[in-house]
Amino acid sequence: MTTTAPLGTEDRTQSPAVPARGRRTALGRIRTGNGLVFVLPFLLVFALFMVWPIVQGIWMSFTDSSLALRDTHFVGLDNYTEAFGDPDVWSSLGNTLFFTVVSSVPLVVVALAMALLVHSGLAGQWAWRLSFFAPYLLPVTVVTMIWTWLYQPELGMANQLLDTFGIAPVGWLSDESVAMWSVAALTVWWTVGFNFLLYLAALQSLPTTFDEAAALDGAGAWRRLWSITLPQLRRTTGLVAMLQVLASLKVFDQIYILTKGGPNGSTRPVLEYVYDVGFTGYRLGYASAVSYLFFALIVLVSLVQLRLFRRED
Amino acid sequence: MYIDVKTSHRMSDPAVERSAMSSRLPAQGVPAVSDPVRRPSRRRLLRNALAGAGALLAAGPLSGCASPASASGASSLSVWDLFQGGDGMLMDDMIEAVSQGAGGAKGFDVDRTILDWGPSYYTKLAMSAAGGRASDVAAMHLSRLAGYAPGGLVDAFDLDLLAEYGVTSEDFAPAVWSRTQYEGTVYAIPLDVHPFIVFYDKKAAEQAGLLDTSGELAPMGSPEALLEAGRALAEATGEAGILFGHVTDTAQTWRLFAGLYAQTGAGFDLPDGGPPRIDTDAAVRVVTLMTQLFDGRTNPNNLDYNGAMAAFTNGRGGMAMLGEWELPTLKKSRIDLGAAPFPQVFDKPAVYTDSHSFVLPHQDSPDPARRREAHRYVAQILKQSLTWASAGHIPAYQPVLAEPEYAALDPQSSYADAAKVAVLDPPNWFAGAGSNFQNRMCQPLQSALLGNTTPEKAVRQMVREADTLLRQPNPVA
Repeated sequence: MTTTAPLGTEDRTQSPAVPARGRRTALGRIRTGNGLVFVLPFLLVFALFMVWPIVQGIWMSFTDSSLALRDTHFVGLDNYTEAFGDPDVWSSLGNTLFFTVVSSVPLVVVALAMALLVHSGLAGQWAWRLSFFAPYLLPVTVVTMIWTWLYQPELGMANQLLDTFGIAPVGWLSDESVAMWSVAALTVWWTVGFNFLLYLAALQSLPTTFDEAAALDGAGAWRRLWSITLPQLRRTTGLVAMLQVLASLKVFDQIYILTKGGPNGSTRPVLEYVYDVGFTGYRLGYASAVSYLFFALIVLVSLVQLRLFRRED
Repeated sequence: MYIDVKTSHRMSDPAVERSAMSSRLPAQGVPAVSDPVRRPSRRRLLRNALAGAGALLAAGPLSGCASPASASGASSLSVWDLFQGGDGMLMDDMIEAVSQGAGGAKGFDVDRTILDWGPSYYTKLAMSAAGGRASDVAAMHLSRLAGYAPGGLVDAFDLDLLAEYGVTSEDFAPAVWSRTQYEGTVYAIPLDVHPFIVFYDKKAAEQAGLLDTSGELAPMGSPEALLEAGRALAEATGEAGILFGHVTDTAQTWRLFAGLYAQTGAGFDLPDGGPPRIDTDAAVRVVTLMTQLFDGRTNPNNLDYNGAMAAFTNGRGGMAMLGEWELPTLKKSRIDLGAAPFPQVFDKPAVYTDSHSFVLPHQDSPDPARRREAHRYVAQILKQSLTWASAGHIPAYQPVLAEPEYAALDPQSSYADAAKVAVLDPPNWFAGAGSNFQNRMCQPLQSALLGNTTPEKAVRQMVREADTLLRQPNPVA
């Protein structure tokens, strides 16, 4: 690439650069050819299961495609117009965003706190690492089973705990204003281990020189944490936050099993609405349109995040 | 699913071995002396590996298509159903009986597929029928028929053919039979009727003075009587009176509401395109009664399904409002168990019900001989209904109800009358068991029971939700 001459009117055959370029491209062609062979299996699968469905989905969103009928008709922007006027789309999008905020923040902060605690040299390192990471290994069904019983209004541990402190019982999954927080708490417990691991790995690979120098200069532990460790972790925080926001935006499974979107739709994420409309209600065209609206939102969030972290760098 | 996996493994194994062998041989045979010798062998290795991968890829889809035939043979009858757990085992027994040629008839070779019950079952069934290569017979809740018959997702039954095998329309309760048809054609043959009923602790009920002289639950006749019964039961048990689990459930509050609402005699009509025709006064009366009944003091208002089941089986309540299908679980508890059709408290007798039925999912080019076998199979299975009744379901095939063996089933026979006053979901493509409609109706009802909203607001929201659903373009017609 670096040798590419500006394409002008010069006679290529007489240019001394041409033979070299010719050879180079031939070599390049072989290289690319070999490379293609290696990436071909991936490309095939990627095209089959990612690119094709995405293209197909966009097309579907402009049709009245139904799960139960074979003939479909082009309906133009009808699905999108309907989606913009559908209050359930907006309320479920709102639920997804709310969940993303209330789950992502603790999932980053708590993970960092746990990693710092373990890194600071608590006794029994492996036990802490194991217990912080273990919930992440559980499948979603097991996690929700456990928490359903914890949240039980009468027999559940959560309310019994409150009871011992003389606090009135809470409708963890039945109170519309509490349910999403309950889901977020479950999610933090379940998935914080992964972020914890990322942070711990980053902490362990930090050079100790700065820290030692600061200590020699008389900086206290808090000062060093604030001015040395955290700034060095900035890139990791960016990565963790980015991954976490994306993971939280696609929330579906734990909510679907735990509350089915209830009570009164207060925990229904937009993906569940897509599922409800498309697979239970057979309206694939409309469901596609809603999911592409959501896709646009994800792209927007990602762009904003990207810009934020670019600026920091 | 399982069969698919197995066959695809079997078919692709040789391919794996071949590629593994051919790639191993040159590497071992040609000593690694110099570059020129190694390079071609590495290339060959790569090529072979690719060929192997290609063979794997090709074998996958091929075996996927081939598996149904290879697994079962062309002559066997494929059957889809959603019966798991105890029901599933009983269905196994019934299929076993007809396969062996019960009653001296010719046997069957049945290839049964059990799918997970829930909304996803109906997604799969609709997809298979839309593809035109569905199973020969499938189970379906009768309440879902309106989403299948108009769009041609199920094929019609030949009543003459069924009559040949001894099953006619007179063999079914009219309240249920009327729902098997679309525009005068029969598309479903009911296997059972499974109503939403009340189970009670006989000791508690007797103490509360709710039993008649024969030891059965006495008629109630008014909303006040039901409320009073709750108070009396709570006193008798010292804990809760009536238990009802509904939190985060997507059907329970609708079942309770729909049964009580039908008792008021008002109609709940969902004409295509809307608006819904719902008597809001009657609906408010019903929801008000529900909130009075589950006030959170006499009767808890915040239980989920499993919580209510656990409380009742542990003797922490005198009565539970549940589907009759919970009978096998409840029978295992130490409770002296009684059961009755849902008590009539408004003007008209009515019990909310659904019915497991058999349908013929649409096939593009059905083989007449197989279709005939499918009819014979349905008729034969119906005659095994006594086995089915042991789980609690009321057989839809009435001749079984007349048999003394059925009368001896306790407490099944004490709620068999529920079939006569059966009320199902309003017939519409989006309604029925496991549907979005039930889920959406449950949301405001749950809110009202939990005290988050008033009965008036809940009913308004139900009407609004029904209207939204009715305005959607119909995806099955």
